[in-house]
Amino acid sequence: MKSNLYNHTFFISIIAALLLCTNGIAQQIDLSNYSMRFVFKTVKQADNSRLLEVSFIGFNDADRKDKLPVFGAEIQFLNVLNDEEIILGSSKTSKEGTAQLILLENQKYATDEQGYINLKARFNSTDALSIEEADIMVKDLHLDLNLSEIDSVKTVTLTAFTINSLGDKIPVSDLDVIINLNTMLSKMNINEGTIIDGTYTFEMTESFSGNTKGELTISSIIEENDEYGNIIQEKKVQWGTINKQVKFNDHSLWTKAAPIWMYVLLSILLLGVYINFIYTIVNLVKIKREGDNIKTEPKKNYTVY
Amino acid sequence: MNIQSRKRELFKEFAPRLETTSTVSKIYISFLIAIILVGIYAFYLQMSEGQIVTGMRDNVVWGIYEVNFILLVCISYSGAFISGILHFFHTPWKTAIARIVEIITVLSLLIGPIYILLCMGRLDRLHYLFMYPRIQSPITWDIIAIITDIVACFIYLYLTFIPDFAILRDHCEERDIPKWVKKMYKTLAIGYQDTKTQRDRLHKITRTMSAIIIVLAIVAYTVLAWIFSLTLQPGWNSTIFAPYFIVGGLFSGVAFIIVTMYLVRKFYKLEKYIRKMHFKVGGIILLILAMLYGYFTFTEYFSRWFSHKAIDTDLLDKLFTRYFWEFILANYVGILGPIGILFFKKLRTINWVTIASVIALVGIWINRYLIVIPTLETPYVPIQDTRVDYIFYAASWVEIALSFAGIAAFLLMFTLIGKLVPLVPMNYILDSHLETNKVKQKVNKEISE
Repeated sequence: MKSNLYNHTFFISIIAALLLCTNGIAQQIDLSNYSMRFVFKTVKQADNSRLLEVSFIGFNDADRKDKLPVFGAEIQFLNVLNDEEIILGSSKTSKEGTAQLILLENQKYATDEQGYINLKARFNSTDALSIEEADIMVKDLHLDLNLSEIDSVKTVTLTAFTINSLGDKIPVSDLDVIINLNTMLSKMNINEGTIIDGTYTFEMTESFSGNTKGELTISSIIEENDEYGNIIQEKKVQWGTINKQVKFNDHSLWTKAAPIWMYVLLSILLLGVYINFIYTIVNLVKIKREGDNIKTEPKKNYTVY
Repeated sequence: MNIQSRKRELFKEFAPRLETTSTVSKIYISFLIAIILVGIYAFYLQMSEGQIVTGMRDNVVWGIYEVNFILLVCISYSGAFISGILHFFHTPWKTAIARIVEIITVLSLLIGPIYILLCMGRLDRLHYLFMYPRIQSPITWDIIAIITDIVACFIYLYLTFIPDFAILRDHCEERDIPKWVKKMYKTLAIGYQDTKTQRDRLHKITRTMSAIIIVLAIVAYTVLAWIFSLTLQPGWNSTIFAPYFIVGGLFSGVAFIIVTMYLVRKFYKLEKYIRKMHFKVGGIILLILAMLYGYFTFTEYFSRWFSHKAIDTDLLDKLFTRYFWEFILANYVGILGPIGILFFKKLRTINWVTIASVIALVGIWINRYLIVIPTLETPYVPIQDTRVDYIFYAASWVEIALSFAGIAAFLLMFTLIGKLVPLVPMNYILDSHLETNKVKQKVNKEISE
C-alpha cells in the first residue's frame, strides 16, 4: 500500500514540532495566583544554640494544595532594639523554601527592659516578589535537665530559669513541658506536665532498652510558648534496661560439624548394617570351607532329606 | 523323585538358553549396543562441551536425568522391598518372580545413580563428595544409603544365586558351555554341596539379609525423598513426601516387575512358571498401591491449593497451564487408568494387568517430571532479565539419548544375566518340590495309619 504521509506535510510537521518542542508548550507560572506565606520561628536547641528559621512558600489561591516554595531567596536575620537593627546573619532559602541560621550559645543579643530579644527576618523585594518581614519576641530561657537515680528510682528533674542583668537565676512557673524519649525515627512522649517554681520532676518507672550501649536520650520540650518560644533540652543517660537478648537457635546444620546425635545415629545404623554384611561374609567363608573339606573326603551322597 | 535327578532335569530344561544364542537375540543385542554407543557419544559431548549441550540451566539444574534417577532408584528400592518380603515371609509364589525382582533391583540400582552423576557440572570434583562430606547434608545421606544398598543388594542377589551356581557347576560339564563360564560357576558356587549345614547356614543368612534389605529400602526411599522435602522449595517441602515416595516407588516398582514378567514370560517361554496367578496377584497389589498413591497425590496437591501460599499458588498455576496435559496424564490417567482396569475382576488378565502397569509406569515417570522441573522453574527469588531458555526447561537430544542408553544398558545386562543363569531360580523350584513331597509323605502316612 502506498503511504499517504506526504499528502499531509503541514499537519505532520505540526505534530512533529509539538512532539519535539516540549519546552514550547510548558505552562507559565503566574505568581499573581499565589499568596506568599513568610513564617519565622526560633528554637533554642539542646546545645543552647538558637535556630532561626524562615519558611517562604507561595500557596495557590485556587488550590491550597498547590505550593510553590521560593528557592534561593536571601533572608536577613536581625536583632532589633528600638530602631536599631543588628544583623545576625543571612541565609538563602532551600528548594523547600526554608532558610536557617544557627546562632551559637555565646551569641550576645540586645534585649529590651523586660528582657525580650526582638528578632526579625526580612526578605527584600525583587521584581517578582514584594518585601516580606516577620518578627518574634522571646525571652532567653535556660533549661537544666537532671537525670539521676534517687533511692533507686530513675528521676527526671527539669529546672527552668532566666538570668537577669545581675547574672542571677530567676525560676519560672506555669510552663507546659513535654518529656520525650528519642528513638531511632521519632520522639516518644513519656510524660507531660507543668513547671512550677522553676522545677518539674517525675519518676520514670517504665523500662526502655535504649541504644546498643544501653543509653537513653531524654529530651524536654517547651513548645511555642508565648514568652519563651521553643526550647529543647536533652541528655543521654545509662538507663537502658538491656532485655535478655533473644538467642536465636542457630541452625545446627549450617555449622561446620553436624550435631552429635547425627553422628551417633548414623554410626549405629551403619554399624548395624555393615556388621551384618561381615557376618554374612563370615558364613559364606564357612560354607566354602565345608565345601572344600567335602572335596578332599571320599565322595558320598551328602544330600540328606 | 530323587533330588539329584530333579536337579538334572531342571538343568536340562534351562541349559539350552545358556548354551546357544539365536540370530534374533544377536540382532537384539546389537541393537541395544548401538543405542548404548549413541549414548556414549552423547556422554562424550556432554563431557567435552559441558552442560550447555543439555537443557539444564541456571534455574532448572535438574532435568530428565534426575527424573530417571528417581524412577530407577525407586524401582530398585521397591524391588529390594518386594524381594525381601517374598523371601522373609516364605511367599509360596515367589519361585517364579523372585529372581526377576532381584535382578531388576541390582540393575536399576547400578544404572540409576549414573544419572545423578550426569547432572553434575563438575564430574572431576566427584571425589570431593567423599573427601569433604557434610554429614548434615541429605545428599551425603543419599550417597551413603545408595552405596550401602548396592552392597546389600549384591550380597543378597549372590546368596540367592549360590545354590543355582552349584547346580550349574555340577552339571555344566556334560554340556557345550564355554570354559570361562564353567570356571565362573565353579568360583561363584564357593564349594556349595547342598549339605544340611550349608543349606541351613545359607537359609539363615539369606533370611537375615532379606530383613536388612527391607529396612534399607525404607531408609533409602526416605532419604531420597528428604533430598527434596528438606528444602523450602514449593512442591517439595512436605512432611508426607517420604511416605509418598515410598508408596509411589512401590507403585512404579510393582508395575515395572509386572511388565518385566510379561516380557520374560513371552521371550523366555516361561509360561509354565510365570502363570496367570502371578499377574492376578500383581494386579491386585498394583490396584491397592494405585489407590494409596492416588490418595497421597490428592492430599499433597489439595493441601497446597488450600493453604494458598503465594509460591505454591504460582506452582499450581504452572501445573494447570504450562503442564496441563502432563498433569492430566500423570495424575488422572496414570492413577485412575490402572484403577479403572484393575478394579474389575474380569480385566485382571495377563494382557490387561500388563497394560495397566505400562500406563502406571508412564504416569509415574511424568509425575516425577512434574515433581522436579516445574518446581525448579518456580524459584523463590525471581531472576530478572534472564533468558527464557534459562527459566524453562526442555530436554536436549543428548539427555534423551542418554536416557535411552540407560534403558538399553538395563535390557542388555538383563539379557546377559539371563544367558548366564536361569531367570527362574532352580533352587526355589526344588524347595517347592521338596515341600510338596513332604506334604505327600505326610498325607500317605496319615492314610496308612
